[in-house]
Amino acid sequence: MKTGFFKFLAKIYPMAKRRLYRFSGGVFPRYNKSLSKQHPIHKSFIPNELILPLHQHVGVETEPKVQVGDKVLKNQCLAESKKGLSAPVHAPTSGEIVAIENRTLPHPSGLTGLCIVLKPDFKDEAIDNILKTDGKTPSDPKALKELVYRAGIVGMGGAGFPTFAKIPDEKGKIHTLLVNGAECEPFITCDDILMQTHPKDIIHGAIIVAEALGCERIICGIEDNKPEAIESMQAAVAELDHPNLVEIQPVPTVYPMGGQKQLTQQLTGIEVPAHAHAVDIGLLMMNVATFAAIFHAVRHGKPLTSRYVTVSGLGLNHPFNIEALIGTSFEDLVELAEPKTKLNYPLVQGGPMMGFEMPNNHVPVIKTTNCILANPPKPAEMVMPCIRCGECMDACPVNLLPQQLYWHARSHEFDKAEKLNLFDCIECGCCSFVCPSHIPLVQYYRFAKGEVKKNKQETLATQRAKERHEAKLAREERIKQEREAKLKAKKEAVKRKAANEAEQEASTPAPEQKAPSSAAAAARAAAARKKAAQSSDATTTESTATSEDEKQPGAPLSAREKAIAAARKRAEAATEKSEPQAATNPAMSARGKAMAAAKKRAQAAAKKSENTESESETAKDTSSHTAEVDSPELDAKTRARLAAQKRAQEMAAKRQMQADQTEISAQEENTAKVEEAPVVDKRQAAMEAAKKRAAARKKPLPDNTETSGSDS
Amino acid sequence: MISAILIFLGLALVFGLLLGYAAVRFKVEGNPMADQIDNILPQTQCGQCGFPGCRPYAEALANGDSEVNLCVPGGHEVMIQISEITNREPKEMEEVPEVAEGKIVAVIDEDTCIGCVHCIKACPVDAIVGATKLMHTVIESECTGCEKCVPVCPVDCITMIPVEPTLQNWSWAEPDPTANTRPLIEKFS
Ligand code: SF4
Ligand code: SF4
Ligand code: SF4
Ligand code: SF4
Repeated sequence: MKTGFFKFLAKIYPMAKRRLYRFSGGVFPRYNKSLSKQHPIHKSFIPNELILPLHQHVGVETEPKVQVGDKVLKNQCLAESKKGLSAPVHAPTSGEIVAIENRTLPHPSGLTGLCIVLKPDFKDEAIDNILKTDGKTPSDPKALKELVYRAGIVGMGGAGFPTFAKIPDEKGKIHTLLVNGAECEPFITCDDILMQTHPKDIIHGAIIVAEALGCERIICGIEDNKPEAIESMQAAVAELDHPNLVEIQPVPTVYPMGGQKQLTQQLTGIEVPAHAHAVDIGLLMMNVATFAAIFHAVRHGKPLTSRYVTVSGLGLNHPFNIEALIGTSFEDLVELAEPKTKLNYPLVQGGPMMGFEMPNNHVPVIKTTNCILANPPKPAEMVMPCIRCGECMDACPVNLLPQQLYWHARSHEFDKAEKLNLFDCIECGCCSFVCPSHIPLVQYYRFAKGEVKKNKQETLATQRAKERHEAKLAREERIKQEREAKLKAKKEAVKRKAANEAEQEASTPAPEQKAPSSAAAAARAAAARKKAAQSSDATTTESTATSEDEKQPGAPLSAREKAIAAARKRAEAATEKSEPQAATNPAMSARGKAMAAAKKRAQAAAKKSENTESESETAKDTSSHTAEVDSPELDAKTRARLAAQKRAQEMAAKRQMQADQTEISAQEENTAKVEEAPVVDKRQAAMEAAKKRAAARKKPLPDNTETSGSDS
Repeated sequence: MISAILIFLGLALVFGLLLGYAAVRFKVEGNPMADQIDNILPQTQCGQCGFPGCRPYAEALANGDSEVNLCVPGGHEVMIQISEITNREPKEMEEVPEVAEGKIVAVIDEDTCIGCVHCIKACPVDAIVGATKLMHTVIESECTGCEKCVPVCPVDCITMIPVEPTLQNWSWAEPDPTANTRPLIEKFS
């Protein structure tokens, strides 16, 4: 009664049709469906080349399992991924893999992606039941999910979401299974044809899923502009054992009736909440083609390698539907339909409402391609300012405010657009369709969505960069403090020892022979750590040197060198010393002198510390900082720096010694001063000799610096 | 009359005490303005502002001893935001060398790298991994594109390249409001 009234009213006021269904909005475009429906299904067609993108679904890219040159059979798995949400890709026919390379994808971006290129051998040899099923219905959702995954089935209505991920894990979660046969886009008839020719596949596919998931009801919604499809589906249901399980429900013809949420609302009266999925409220909807694919996978173990595609458009002489192999290029299919003019305009994937113009006509049919449209380009429309007519708002099936969204998107106020539920927009295009000002509203929403997503990612990245930078600063600060603490401790140790020594020298002048040696020993200990190897030679007699060297089994050569050097040094010291020092301290041995030398070195080191020591510390610490990244670096760097430092010290010492020597010859008779000067001279000599030795020793055994230092 | 005055005096006293208490009780530690500015800076840590990183620049701005237009990666937008936060006159960005649109990241030519670790030390966000005398490489997702590692490399094997769009990060371009549209379907049929 009510329906009849509105149908009558629609004759004078077309928008009265909006009263005939349960969701608001919607538009009534010219459908042009008869174009492709009036021609019979085109016979199967194997092109000369199949392009199989590794990424045909929502999720991560698959990885090829075959190599160039491999011969493959139909249904063989060519690529899969274990890394996340994905769907395997199978060979649509037998042939040879001729390339795995980047090809343009059927995507509005025009980006290229890795594709397996298969050259068919036209024998079409297949591996039967490659999924190894027993043809029985899986008893639990997990088994079904596994099978659906292996068959590479994705949502075939256009979204391309891997189907297995849509199926819940537990039985009984879904009470009603919905079959989407609405097919509301103009021009497209592939689902219609599938329902007319293979109604049983669809119905049995739905029953398989329903049994596995324990659903109580199956409702199939078909738009009432497809009477043949409704009839054949109803006939198929009547043949079932339990025809009551499945309900075929004609729904009013309106765009976008095929939208998940719209059809759900129409069939069940339940409006799916904005941020929920249908699964959350016990409903699961899939496209008719998806159910047919599930049927083939479960009953025949056949993966998804072909699909029904509508090749239509006003630019074709013979539009048709075809069961196309995945990977067939758009161009090839359109050529079969005999274009009226040369194909010098972009083809469209999908229907005219939601489809995209392809950047390149040589792109392959993928699992989600339902239609290839060859419409010669229409004259461009001038975009006028929005007149705030509100048409878009009336047409929006999701009850959004398209006009407001448009203003916000245009002025880049994305946060405001988000507050107006931008992300609930299904990009159906109803608003653009009705806009009298020809504003491409949907494109603004797509842009805004992309920007919002980008901004979110950027905020995250910024946050991470900040954290990482702060972590680095904190680490550097910590290392600096540690270094300072170490430096301070070292300086203090040196100072304390120097003070001790001075004290002892002052308090015990009589047993001179012993006192300096013990003080020197203390100083040496401090100096030894820095000057490493040489102090051991400088302070020991030949016998001790050898005995010490024997402790280092790895250095027989350097031991001998050391011994020789020590002997030479002793001789030098003896000759030089004998004159000035004979009177005061004839008993003082080379050893005492060497100790004095060590002492002096320690003092010099303390004095020099501002430059050299801190520098070496920096060297050490910077390298120890990087050592956090890797440790071998430390040794190499420290070694290099220390070696360089030593060389510099050596040069300085040499220069100073020359100067000292000339001085000494002049001062020799001056006994008051002489006592110190020659000692300095000898110390210098000893020091230099020791350094040379150390340098010499370093060459064959660069790693010993640390160990020999601690040895002494 | 008197009673009214008394009542208002009393009210003034009560609110004064309340406000005084609140000022002590809810005192904000640190410099909130510096934090606020730091949050809008791009955190590239590139030092093009003349400060060793974003945070020091934010602090200098909060203290009022720096210009608002120094952050090059942030560009005009960040400058406007800064001048809003600091309540200062926006100042035009100085002429900046042409920078590539979109994000750029450093890439090390791994065959040329001699493993000198200079770049590791220069990277403000620890986005480079490697070891002495071994190949180094950049973790692309962590690289902020600050270009600090480029000049320190002794063998010039680091280059900055724009991030290629992938299917994952591609998004629709902004429609040109002045252009005409070419709808795929004729309207009003
Ligand atoms: S494209 Fe979005 S805003 Fe426009 S009518 Fe469709 S759902 Fe509504
Ligand atoms: S339909 Fe177009 S002109 Fe009318 S309010 Fe919406 S955007 Fe503005
Ligand atoms: S110029 Fe570089 S360091 Fe300075 S605030 Fe901007 S991004 Fe941060
Ligand atoms: S600075 Fe250059 S050579 Fe040195 S480690 Fe880094 S990339 Fe390699």
